[in-house]
Amino acid sequence: MSAWLDPVPWLILLPLIWATLAFILGPRRGGRLAMAGLAIQLGLAVYLATQMMATGPRVHSLGGWGAPLGIDLLADGLAVAMLLLTQIAALPLVIYARAYFSASSTASAPQWEGAPRRMVPSDQFWPLTGFLLAALNALFLSADLFNLYVTLELLTLAAVGLVALGGKPSQVVAALRYLLVSLAASGAYLMGVALIYGTYGTVSIAHLTPLIGTQPPPAIWLAGGLMMTGLLAKTALFPFHFWLPPAHGGAAAPVSALLSALVVKASFYLVLRLLLEPLAPMAEAVSWLLGLLGAAAILWGSWQALATRHLKRLVAWSTVAQLGYLFLIFPLLAPDGLALQAGVMQAVSHGLAKAAMFTAVGVLMLATGRDTLDGLAGVAGRLPLTIFALGLAGVTLMGLPPSGGFLAKWLLIDAALGQGQWPWLIIIIGGGLLTAAYVFQVLRQSFLTAPESTHFQPVPRSMEWTAFMLAAASVLLGLRGVEWIELLAVV
Amino acid sequence: MNALLRGCTVLACLGLGLGLAWSMLELPPAPIQMPGLVASHMDQSGVDHPVTAVLLNFRGYDTLLEVAVLLLALLGMLAAGTTPLHASSFKEAPMLTALARALTPIAVLVAGYLLWAGAFKPGGAFQAAAVLAGAAVLLRIAGLLPSWTTPADGLRLALAAGLLVFLGVAASGLALGGLLAYPPEWAGTLILLIETSLTVSLALILAGLFLAGPDSRPPEEQS
Repeated sequence: MSAWLDPVPWLILLPLIWATLAFILGPRRGGRLAMAGLAIQLGLAVYLATQMMATGPRVHSLGGWGAPLGIDLLADGLAVAMLLLTQIAALPLVIYARAYFSASSTASAPQWEGAPRRMVPSDQFWPLTGFLLAALNALFLSADLFNLYVTLELLTLAAVGLVALGGKPSQVVAALRYLLVSLAASGAYLMGVALIYGTYGTVSIAHLTPLIGTQPPPAIWLAGGLMMTGLLAKTALFPFHFWLPPAHGGAAAPVSALLSALVVKASFYLVLRLLLEPLAPMAEAVSWLLGLLGAAAILWGSWQALATRHLKRLVAWSTVAQLGYLFLIFPLLAPDGLALQAGVMQAVSHGLAKAAMFTAVGVLMLATGRDTLDGLAGVAGRLPLTIFALGLAGVTLMGLPPSGGFLAKWLLIDAALGQGQWPWLIIIIGGGLLTAAYVFQVLRQSFLTAPESTHFQPVPRSMEWTAFMLAAASVLLGLRGVEWIELLAVV
Repeated sequence: MNALLRGCTVLACLGLGLGLAWSMLELPPAPIQMPGLVASHMDQSGVDHPVTAVLLNFRGYDTLLEVAVLLLALLGMLAAGTTPLHASSFKEAPMLTALARALTPIAVLVAGYLLWAGAFKPGGAFQAAAVLAGAAVLLRIAGLLPSWTTPADGLRLALAAGLLVFLGVAASGLALGGLLAYPPEWAGTLILLIETSLTVSLALILAGLFLAGPDSRPPEEQS
C-alpha cells in the first residue's frame, strides 16, 4: 500500500498543519479549520482501527531508516484505542468551544481587574488545541523513548498555554505551578531515558524490551524509578495531584474538558506501556504501590469533591478520584488481560464522561453567571438537556449499567475475584458510592426552586447538544464494549 | 517546618546524585553502538556532519516536533498575555546604541556562517537563530527596535514559515515510502532548505520571547 494513504503519519501531520495555519490566520480564527481537520482525523482513526483488526499492528519507519538508527511509529491495539478516544472526544469539544467562545464574548463575560485590553480567552485557543492534539496522537503512536519525551514536552507546553488562556491572574498562577511540576517531571523522565541509552545504546522500545530482559542492572531500576515518578506527577496520581484542581478548575470549560478527558490519560498510557513492555521486570515490584496510591486517590479525591462548593472544582476533584481507578489495574495485571481491558475501558469512558461533565458545567456557568453549587437552583427547569447530560455522565462515573464505566468496574471486579484479591472490591464499590454522593449533590441542587430574582443567560443549543452527545456516548460505550476489547487484542 | 522540608530535599537530591554516580560506574559497554551505525549511513544522509545528519535526517522527526515546541512556547506567552520583566523603559545609553549598531551586522554574518557550516562541522539552524535573536535583544535594549504588542499578519507568517516548510518536506516524503524520507540525491538540498527557513523562524521566535509584550517606551517615542 502506498505510504500516501497510510493513516498513521497523517494523524500527526494533520493537526500540526491546521494548528500552524490557525496561528497564521490570527487570533480567534481557525475554528472551522479545526472542525474540518478533526473530522478527517476521526475518519482516519476509524479507518486505521478497522485496517488493523484485519491485518495486525502497523509499523511506520520515519525517513525510511527504521529503528534503532531512525524512529519508528507503532500502531497496535492499545495505541489505536487511545487514538480513537482522542478524536471521538475532541470533535464535539471543538464544536462546543466555537459556541462557547462566541457566547462568552457577547454575553456579559466576567472581566477581571487589570485584564489587558483586547485580550479574549479565545485568542490562541485554536492553534494551542491543534498542537495539543498533535502531541497526543504523536505520543500514542511513538515507539521510541526519546521521541516520547519530545511529545511529552509538546503536550505540556500546549496544556500550560491553554490553562493560562486569557491571562486571569489565578489562571497564570495555576498554569505556572502546572508548568513547574511538569518540567520537573519531564526532567526526571529524560534522566531515565539518558541512563537507558547509556546502558544499551538505543531508545527504541522494540529493541530495548529483549535487551532489558528479566534481570536488569541497577541503572535500569534507577532509570525506571525516575521515569515512573515523572509520569505519575504528570498524571496527577495521589500524592502528586495538588496541581490538578486549580489548573483544571480554573481554565475555560472546553479547556478543562480537553485536559481532564485526554491530557492526563496520555501519561497514564505511558506508565502502562512501559510497565507492560521494556520495564516489565519492575512491574511486580511497583504494582502494589501503584494500586494503593490509586485507592488513596479514589478516597481523597471523592471526599474533596464532596466537600467543595464550587462546581468546576468538584468536577476537577472527581478527575483526581477517577484517575485512581486507572491505577487499581496494576496489581491485577495478568495474562488473561482482564485488568488491561478494565484500564482502557475506564480511560475511554471517563474521558467521554468527564468531557461531558465539564461541557455541561460550562453551560450552567454561562447560564447562571456563577460557579457555585448554590447558584444552580432552578436550572433543571431551564436547561433540562444539560442536567440530563450531567446525570448521564454521572451514571458512567458511578459505574451503573449499561455505561462504559460499569463495564470497566465489572472487568476490574472480575479480575480481582479471579485472583482472590477481594480487598480491592471495597475500594471499587466504596468509590462508586462516594461518586454517587457528589453527583446527586449537584443534581439535587439543580432541582430546587430558584429565587424570584434569578436571571438566566440564554445559552446556544449547540453547546447543550454537544454535552449531551458526549454523555450519551459514555453510556452507550458499554454496549459496544466487545469491539473495544477485540481492538485491544491486536498486539 | 520549612527547614525540615529543605533538609529532606537536600538529602533526597544527595541520594539521587550518589545513586546516579554509582549506577554509572557499574555500566557495561552498550550492546548497540549508535555512533558506528550513524557513521555507516553518512553517505546517504546528504550532509557531512554526523550531528546534522542525526538532527535533520535520521531523527528529523524529533527536530520537527521540537520546532513546534518552540513556536508553542511563544504561543503560550501570547495566550497568557504576560507582561515581560523588562517592561520598565530602557534608558538612553549612547555606548549601548553604538555597540548594538556595530554588533548587529557582525551577528548576521556569524549567523550566515553558522548556518552554512552546519553541513560539515558544528553549527546549523538553531545556533544561527540564537545569534540572530541575540542581536534582536541587543537592538531592543538599545531602544532601536520596538517591542511587539501582537504579531501582525506578515510576522505570524514568518514565525510559522520554518515549521510549515518542514511539514511540507516531511509530507512529500510520504511519496517515497515514509514521513520525512528524502531521496538521497536531494537530501543535501532539502536539508539546506529546511535549515534556512528554520533559521529565520527560530530567530524570530526566540527574539519574540523577549520582544513580545506592550511597548514600554513613552508614547511620543513609539514609531
